[in-house]
Amino acid sequence: MMFDNILSILVFFPALAALLGFVVEKGSIRAYGIAVAAVEFALSLVLWYAYDPSVVGMQFMESIPLVPAFGIHYLVGIDGISLFIIVLATFFTLIGIASLGEVSRLKDMILTLLFLEMTMVGVFVALDAVVFYVFWELSLVPMLYIIGAWGGPLRIYASIKFFLYTFTGSLVMLVGMLFMAYFYHQATGVWSFSILEWYRLVLPENFQIWLFVAFFFGFAIKVPMFPFHTWLPYAHGQAPTIGSVILAAILLKMGTYAFVRFSLPMFPDASVFFMVPIAVISIIMIIYTAMVAYAQEDIKQVVAYSSVSHMGVIVLGTFALNVEGISGSVFLMIAHGVVSGALFMLVGVYYDRRHTKLLSEMGGLASVMPHYATIFGIMVMASVGLPLTINFVGEFLSLLGFYKQSHILTLLAGTAIIVGAIYMLAAFKKAFFGTVTNEANRGLKDVNGRELFALIPLVLVTVWLGVYPKPVLEPINNSVESIVSLMHEKAITQEAKMRIPNPSQQEAASGGSH
Amino acid sequence: MELYLYLALFSPLAGSLIAALFGARPKTLFTGVVTSALLGLSLVSSTILLFYILGGGAAVHVEMMTWMATGDLYIPFGFLVDQVSVTMMMVVTVVSTVVHVYSIGYMDHDKSFNRFFAWLSAFVFSMMVLVMSDNFAGLFIGWEGVGLCSWALIGFWYHKESAIWAANEAFIMNRIADLGMLIGLFLIYWNVGSLQYDRFFEAVVTLDQSVLVMIGIFLFIGAMGKSAQFPLHTWLADAMEGPTPVSALIHAATMVTAGVYLVVRANPLYEMIPEVGYFVASLGAFVAMFAASMALVNRDMKRIIAYSTLSQLGYMFVAAGLGAYWVALFHLMAHAFFKALLFLGAGNVMHAMSDELDPFKMGGLKKVMKGTWIMMTLASVALAGIWPLAGFFSKDLILEVAFVEHHYVLYTVLLLTAMLTAFYSFRLVALIFHGEERYKEYGSHPHEAYTFMLIAMSPLALLAVIAGFAFKGSYIDMVTAVLPATEYHVHSPVVFWIMVIGTQLLVGAAIAYAYKKYQNAKIDKAFEQRPCYKVLFNQYYIPHFYEEYISKPYRELSHVAWKQLDLRVVDATVDGIATLFYKTGEQTHTMQNGNLSTMLRWMVAGTVLLLALGVAFTVGISVVAG
Repeated sequence: MMFDNILSILVFFPALAALLGFVVEKGSIRAYGIAVAAVEFALSLVLWYAYDPSVVGMQFMESIPLVPAFGIHYLVGIDGISLFIIVLATFFTLIGIASLGEVSRLKDMILTLLFLEMTMVGVFVALDAVVFYVFWELSLVPMLYIIGAWGGPLRIYASIKFFLYTFTGSLVMLVGMLFMAYFYHQATGVWSFSILEWYRLVLPENFQIWLFVAFFFGFAIKVPMFPFHTWLPYAHGQAPTIGSVILAAILLKMGTYAFVRFSLPMFPDASVFFMVPIAVISIIMIIYTAMVAYAQEDIKQVVAYSSVSHMGVIVLGTFALNVEGISGSVFLMIAHGVVSGALFMLVGVYYDRRHTKLLSEMGGLASVMPHYATIFGIMVMASVGLPLTINFVGEFLSLLGFYKQSHILTLLAGTAIIVGAIYMLAAFKKAFFGTVTNEANRGLKDVNGRELFALIPLVLVTVWLGVYPKPVLEPINNSVESIVSLMHEKAITQEAKMRIPNPSQQEAASGGSH
Repeated sequence: MELYLYLALFSPLAGSLIAALFGARPKTLFTGVVTSALLGLSLVSSTILLFYILGGGAAVHVEMMTWMATGDLYIPFGFLVDQVSVTMMMVVTVVSTVVHVYSIGYMDHDKSFNRFFAWLSAFVFSMMVLVMSDNFAGLFIGWEGVGLCSWALIGFWYHKESAIWAANEAFIMNRIADLGMLIGLFLIYWNVGSLQYDRFFEAVVTLDQSVLVMIGIFLFIGAMGKSAQFPLHTWLADAMEGPTPVSALIHAATMVTAGVYLVVRANPLYEMIPEVGYFVASLGAFVAMFAASMALVNRDMKRIIAYSTLSQLGYMFVAAGLGAYWVALFHLMAHAFFKALLFLGAGNVMHAMSDELDPFKMGGLKKVMKGTWIMMTLASVALAGIWPLAGFFSKDLILEVAFVEHHYVLYTVLLLTAMLTAFYSFRLVALIFHGEERYKEYGSHPHEAYTFMLIAMSPLALLAVIAGFAFKGSYIDMVTAVLPATEYHVHSPVVFWIMVIGTQLLVGAAIAYAYKKYQNAKIDKAFEQRPCYKVLFNQYYIPHFYEEYISKPYRELSHVAWKQLDLRVVDATVDGIATLFYKTGEQTHTMQNGNLSTMLRWMVAGTVLLLALGVAFTVGISVVAG
């Protein structure tokens, strides 16, 4: 059947194309890059089309033994949770390449992006911890290169900080993975790195807690969670537009995705144990980084810090530990990807024209660049979480879910809708309203066709999934339901059994409320 | 009937989208005409629905499609036209059609004419979603949608710093209240399992009293934001930065009454929790008087009317809080007509006076602006509650409710406020239209508005006059099908007549006094130096307080969070750890200098250290074990 190897094709096609790209002439490399990314995106759409949301469990699985002695397999597969992040990754690679302006060494950039695409897709399809780890770490390399080679004046500092910081976290996570495999071997007598096998292992609570912490370091730095977030402003500050777009839209999601893929189903009791501390960290992320965002003088930093703030809501939704919250959180990963990616792109539009990102240089742009202002305004409103935009669905469900766990903490986290409005509207006001005071802004050209090609689809997705989230939310919901019921079954402490509701029972109890 | 429901709901959206297509282009009259025509269509559809409901038809309920569904949560786009929502739909479509047509004249010379109509129609659509939704989540869509449009329209003239500031203030302040509303929604969902009105209202009787109180409070916090109740009231006066038709439609007739609508809609809930209702009523009475007091001395025409709106919202909340939901809704409707009329009249005056807002710089305008003068006077008479205009029937009814329910304190407050209302309304009319023509000193050349603008306003004038006596009976028959049909009659006819005539006399006296005092007003410098004048003129220093003790500390704290905490502590720690490793390596790399004897020495030292550690460890273990 044609879909037997679709995931492998999705993973390796961009990388092979990138290799082949070395022999493509400089003049036609843009067309080549766009073509490859378009094919890849089309493939991911085919994947979405062929995905059957009613099937419980992984689909399109492939397994090839790599190191059979230690149970390491090339094991890939997807469910509703990973599916849409993959589509998002191929989508952003396509519009990222298509919207690339005049950059130096265009060919290197495009090939790097294609290589990055492989690692991104790889992370989200991997079902073997070793394969996951390999892609996870490999994704650092192209991003390091993008920041280091095309970045701003502090690019070396920023790229090394980015690399070392996330790498350190990942090493702790690797230790956790090795221990997990060891425990699995202890319990069953065979080696396996398959995540699906690990799901079936019931660990004592104290083991869970230690492993949870080890994995947490890797994930938390990636997200990034407070207080491990300070690499992000530097990375965004120095990265070229395309780097920031991919970083915000996809790479950050690796951390939150991994919470859902690893931490929750493998350590349900530890998840309950750490629920409150993590919620507190999330609330700090939401409020504190929103305040820091409000103080920024550089519009890109506003968007960068706003990312951290929104990631706080995502983490909170994940640790709601019920279907509503986790579905909302996964949906918000997609939503935040679309919106923050678009915002970084929009910042890039101005940067391309003026080579500055300082708010003090802007002002009154609405009258000079009305279309730009309109699109920016739509994305600001999406970021603020207005209903009928994509962000609202995720934010609403995440908060709704967590309300079941704690009223007070949700009330505090809910301030996201206030503090988010404060920094976004303040920045929007400074940039777009008032009179044009800076002569340099007076003759600026409005968004051009190439930029619109990237921005219009993002606007459409923002509204479409805000009005009609069902095509995405339903598959997510089904996969989340199976994770939550697995967690409920596996939970050993009484507290965890109670905190993690069994979705199927809930359904039965409410008598099929639909 | 479903067709009319969809027509009523979506034609404003269609208008908005069409206008938005031309948003960035120079004025095209066609956008104004198309949006107005589509609103007319919406008005006709609403009217058809109204007559259907009046004729005893069952509520029209449609479920268009699923919005969000996950876990046990199921939220559809569902719409409901019942007696309450059809009343709101009529108010919204009537006023907005008038305002649209009026705006074609008012925004005549504005270069962003098209953008204005796009937003104005978008607002109407959001408002229709708000009142027609059949569940709390859909209500919230409209709730936030009107907030967005209000933001865009307050800040319509975005080159003005003050306009944008006011727009952001309104948005953020509403957001604070919206958080309360969201929490209310979460509470409903986790206790009922659904956000549908019907499911919730059925379940109300089975829920704990404490849960109901919480839900009631949180929903009301949401209402306080939209309806600008104390302490979230400051945005409404500042919102007058927007174009005047916007003030008429959004900040007088429709959006600000959304909070009242919410309480009326949730009447089965508030029926169960009278103590919360009493709080609502008390706050309403307080706001009624508080806002009226600020209107007494203000020198900005639009702000005076805004305070008056605030004050009338207070009246509505008194009625709603005391369980007289149909009375609240009735006053909402009457108020929408005469207050929108008042604002549009003020818009004519502003046009005539080249955007002058200080009534002390006007005077004697009735000679040049007869039509406007008549209509504003009518609106003011209606607002003051003089028989037989609309305000008499709706506002006096609220006084009666307070009296009949034995809340004499509330009654007294409202009675006094009624006098204040009459006073400031006619202070304004006297200052603008009567007395000397002070504007000549300022070199203005006033002129009457376009005739078609006056004609557009005339339906509102008609309604301000007849809405009370003509509609009251059929209105009561209609809405009491879904709202508690309590009748509020003062039992003793003597007391009743004393109250009615007494109120009329007091209000009449206030009007006469206002005329006398302000007919030939000069700016009274000595009066303006008095402390009580200053307190009122500065809105009790509340905006000042918010700026000094909330906004400024937040700004400063944000700066500290960034510069001191994020850069100096959190990031510096990370860099410190990295530097530590780096420095250690730098200091120790001389050990690897390739000199064999040095390296052998280090090796020996290392071996000794390891041995020592090993011994210490073994001894330690045996001590602990032993």
